[in-house]
Amino acid sequence: MKKIHIIAILMILGAIVLLTNAAGDMSTYANFKDAEKNGLRVKVAGTLSKDKEMEYKPEVDPNYFSFYIKDAEGEERKVVLLGAKPQDFELSEQIVLTGSMKGDTFIATEMLLKCPSKYKDEEIYIRTEEREI
Amino acid sequence: MEEIQYLGEHLLPGQIGRLAIVLGFVSAIFSAISYFSQWKNLARWGFGIHSASILTVIVTIFFIMIMRYYEYQYVWAHVSDELPLRYIASAFWEGQEGSFLLWMFWNIVLAAIIVFQKGRWEAPVVGTVMVVQFLINSMLLGIYITPDFKLGSNPLLLLRDTMEAPIFNNADYLALIKGNGLNPLLQNYWMTIHPPTLFLGFSSTVIPFGFAIGGLIMKEHKDWLKPVLPWALFSGSILGIGILMGGAWAYEALTFGGYWAWDPVENMSLVPWLILVAGIHTNLIAKSTGYSIKSTYFLYLLTFVLIVYSTFLTRSGILGETSVHAFTEMGLEGQLLLFLALVTIIPFFIFFKNYKKIDAPEKEEASYSREFWMFIGSLVLIFSAALITVSTSLPVYNKIRQFFNPAFIGEVITDPIPHYNKYQIWIAIFISILSGIGLFLRYKEKDFSSRIKILGQWIGFSLVTAIVISFLTGLWIETFFWQYTLLLFAGIFALTTNLFYWGWALKFRIKTAGSVVSHSGFGLMIIGIIASGLNQQIITSNSFLMEGLIEGDEKALRNNVLLFKDTPIRIKDFEVTYTHDTLDTYTRTYFIDFKKINGEEEFTLSPNILYEKDFSKIAAYNPSTRRYLDRDIFSSITALPQVEMDFNAKKEKEDELNYKPYALKFLEPTSFRDTVYLDDLDSSQIRTYTVLLKGVDRNPSHPDYHFEEGDIPIGLDLEIKKESEDSDKVYSAKPLIVIRGQLLYGYPVQINDINTKIKLPESILDLVFEGEDLLSYKELELMPGQKVEFLGHSIDFKGFDKSPQHPYYKSESEDVAAAANLVIDNNFNVAPIFLIRNGQSFNIKEQVDQIGLHLRLVKIDPEKGSAILSVAKSAMPNRVYPVEIATDSLRYDYIVLEAKVFPGINLFWLGSTMMMLGLGLGLWPKLKSRK
Repeated sequence: MKKIHIIAILMILGAIVLLTNAAGDMSTYANFKDAEKNGLRVKVAGTLSKDKEMEYKPEVDPNYFSFYIKDAEGEERKVVLLGAKPQDFELSEQIVLTGSMKGDTFIATEMLLKCPSKYKDEEIYIRTEEREI
Repeated sequence: MEEIQYLGEHLLPGQIGRLAIVLGFVSAIFSAISYFSQWKNLARWGFGIHSASILTVIVTIFFIMIMRYYEYQYVWAHVSDELPLRYIASAFWEGQEGSFLLWMFWNIVLAAIIVFQKGRWEAPVVGTVMVVQFLINSMLLGIYITPDFKLGSNPLLLLRDTMEAPIFNNADYLALIKGNGLNPLLQNYWMTIHPPTLFLGFSSTVIPFGFAIGGLIMKEHKDWLKPVLPWALFSGSILGIGILMGGAWAYEALTFGGYWAWDPVENMSLVPWLILVAGIHTNLIAKSTGYSIKSTYFLYLLTFVLIVYSTFLTRSGILGETSVHAFTEMGLEGQLLLFLALVTIIPFFIFFKNYKKIDAPEKEEASYSREFWMFIGSLVLIFSAALITVSTSLPVYNKIRQFFNPAFIGEVITDPIPHYNKYQIWIAIFISILSGIGLFLRYKEKDFSSRIKILGQWIGFSLVTAIVISFLTGLWIETFFWQYTLLLFAGIFALTTNLFYWGWALKFRIKTAGSVVSHSGFGLMIIGIIASGLNQQIITSNSFLMEGLIEGDEKALRNNVLLFKDTPIRIKDFEVTYTHDTLDTYTRTYFIDFKKINGEEEFTLSPNILYEKDFSKIAAYNPSTRRYLDRDIFSSITALPQVEMDFNAKKEKEDELNYKPYALKFLEPTSFRDTVYLDDLDSSQIRTYTVLLKGVDRNPSHPDYHFEEGDIPIGLDLEIKKESEDSDKVYSAKPLIVIRGQLLYGYPVQINDINTKIKLPESILDLVFEGEDLLSYKELELMPGQKVEFLGHSIDFKGFDKSPQHPYYKSESEDVAAAANLVIDNNFNVAPIFLIRNGQSFNIKEQVDQIGLHLRLVKIDPEKGSAILSVAKSAMPNRVYPVEIATDSLRYDYIVLEAKVFPGINLFWLGSTMMMLGLGLGLWPKLKSRK
């Protein structure tokens, strides 16, 4: 067996070990109940509760934005995002949050929005407002 | 149903384009078959027809886009009337179909070069390109194979054929619709230069792929190694520059706040580049020593396969919510998967079939030879690419598991950036050291012992220099963890070894310095990454509010600061003031003054926001960066008051205000009151102010108002004073009202200190534009210098002005015009104008609003030199001007800002650019030797 083959095999082994270790970096999308139980940093996917109050008052604190979302199980929790309210927030179809539960509030440090692309919208813009389709 | 005869449609371009797509498809497969059957002439004809067809499709789409033919779905979806012509190209490749065409365009250009060279590799290489063209072309067909399965998506379909809407019952529907336009986020020059470069990079990987297939089927496993190398170097250079441009775009124009985020789309363009670079290294080994031919085949084949895999990932929608680069799904997944399967299975089948016959030297590489360590380096690159690919492909793995077990719940990487960083750091360290030492070794080394001494000297020398520089760098930037300290050292070591090697072995020659430039660039890039990534500092972090919500590094999470207009705030070393903002069509630019506390320097950053066309929301936030040689200061707006983000919210807020009407007389103070309720005392405090009317301005200015031809603006000069002994502060305000066409626009004034807003009601117009029919004019003849009395007012005629100025008067070359300079009541200066234009005489009225006097210059007697004035006194006895004042208008003139300092970011740009240029430099001697 050549040296290079040995090195290559070692590397493959190394890759397997590294990626197995990296399993700790992965997580399933959790729900709020799990997050409450384990208190760990998790990702939660859910939808915005549009009827509930949303609070962003940059004049008080530009890094505090709170709202309510429902997770996949239908559990609803208050979420506090430590950051500015992103654009198009109300339009989001799905919200993915990274963070952890603290008491009955989910403190998110990161948020990803999945928005319906407005350029995909099958809606024809009309030149003048008076005329309807 | 009766067929509707639509009006105004242009059907010819669509027919031409659709025909060309089919022709391109057929001729591509024809050319490919001919090339692989060695019918060279037929094949070239096929290539020619294919090229002409695809160019026709491209030109047609550009044509219908420039002409704004909204009857075509692609035009309607990507262009609008407002879109400037310079963004047409961006709109062209915004869509999937356009970017496929861009890819095909480059394939044609590259293949044409090979066709014109008429070499022996033409048949397999161009044949391979034609197979690829055939596959890409199939995605543009848009033909229904079965009623449910559509092959491809045709960019030349009519809008009315792609969707159903009641509007298409109207024969004149084209008069009603308008285009969607280009996503405002993409309306910048990066969108013009990044995609063509990246796609040239993507496209160029097919050439080494074609050469590899050629080598395999022609069973000439050695001959292809030399001609393929320049193409591989070119490809590596362009693909690398394309990726870097993406990073530069993200950094400069988008608010990602960095140049690399390990986003799946970024990763999947990096992976083929890594494999290609590994391939270039094994190619060099194979060319010089005969080792690693199999690896070279494997890596060049794999590069292109990975390009297609990357295309599949980004365009099939499978990445879903894991990527910020949202590509829309178009139902091309099946076809893309087929494309991927074909370019993988067939070439690798040929490769493994020939595997045994590819010769390799019997003897093992010597462990101190260059080829040995270069090969190890290639292995490390493959290793890096494999780790990235596996992690990035997690969504694919999830999809496959879910296919067999619908109950399977997919996993995601919680924090991608640390996940990737923690492995890639070791790879970077290893590559840095290897690229430094590897250069000093020789190919086919037979007599290493005689060189040990001199090499040891140079490497030792480099090592010492690197340690010294690392120490000095440590004074400038921090590394925090020993792993990063090691990485920093490794980067500097790569730099010093390469520079010493350049001086010692290459005698500072530029021509052969390709590898030195690339490898020292890599070293510089590593230093730049540590400096700008690890040492980036958010200077707007605000840790005073809401502490204790979560454990850990909270400070790092609070990145934004609130800035009120004209209120300086201290952040780190700066005093920061938001001074003003301007609105230019849809772009609002904010000017933020940064002043060093020690007074050393002062500069202005101007991040902007882009509104949607109806001002209902913000489409894009664009950052602004101050660049220095050693660092960048980056700023971006992260939020604005609701009333600034949404026009409707602004209107609602305005409607909620409690406006009260007041009637003002010239120079007579009028008082108004503001009642402030004090919560804790359950009582209220009343403040009294006076407002004073100083004048009427017919040429007024307001920060949000831009004069347009034909506008009639009216402004009042007001002065507001607080009634109290301890305050003598006076606020001046100039609210406007503007008549533009049939519409009225109000420009109120907000006085933040007293929460007061003042606007002009519509009724002011009756007063300012008093009906001419209500006035009874009298003519007066005056000589220059003459003074007369008229209804209790004195009129003093000072003389004529031959070049008069007036806001409503724009002089034209043929005009004969003069103004009479008048002083009324020894106080007011007016100059009514008399004008002859095109043989007709006009006059422009002047008004003294304070006393209600209207003056016209109706004639000039040239013989006597006298002016004939027409003067009238207002019919309205009390000159009372209405205003409306609300004392409950809170200030909404603030922004939420994020600012960061990126130290040493230029090292990253310099180093990474050097890496790519080095690859290009490697091309140079090879192109020269060919002639």
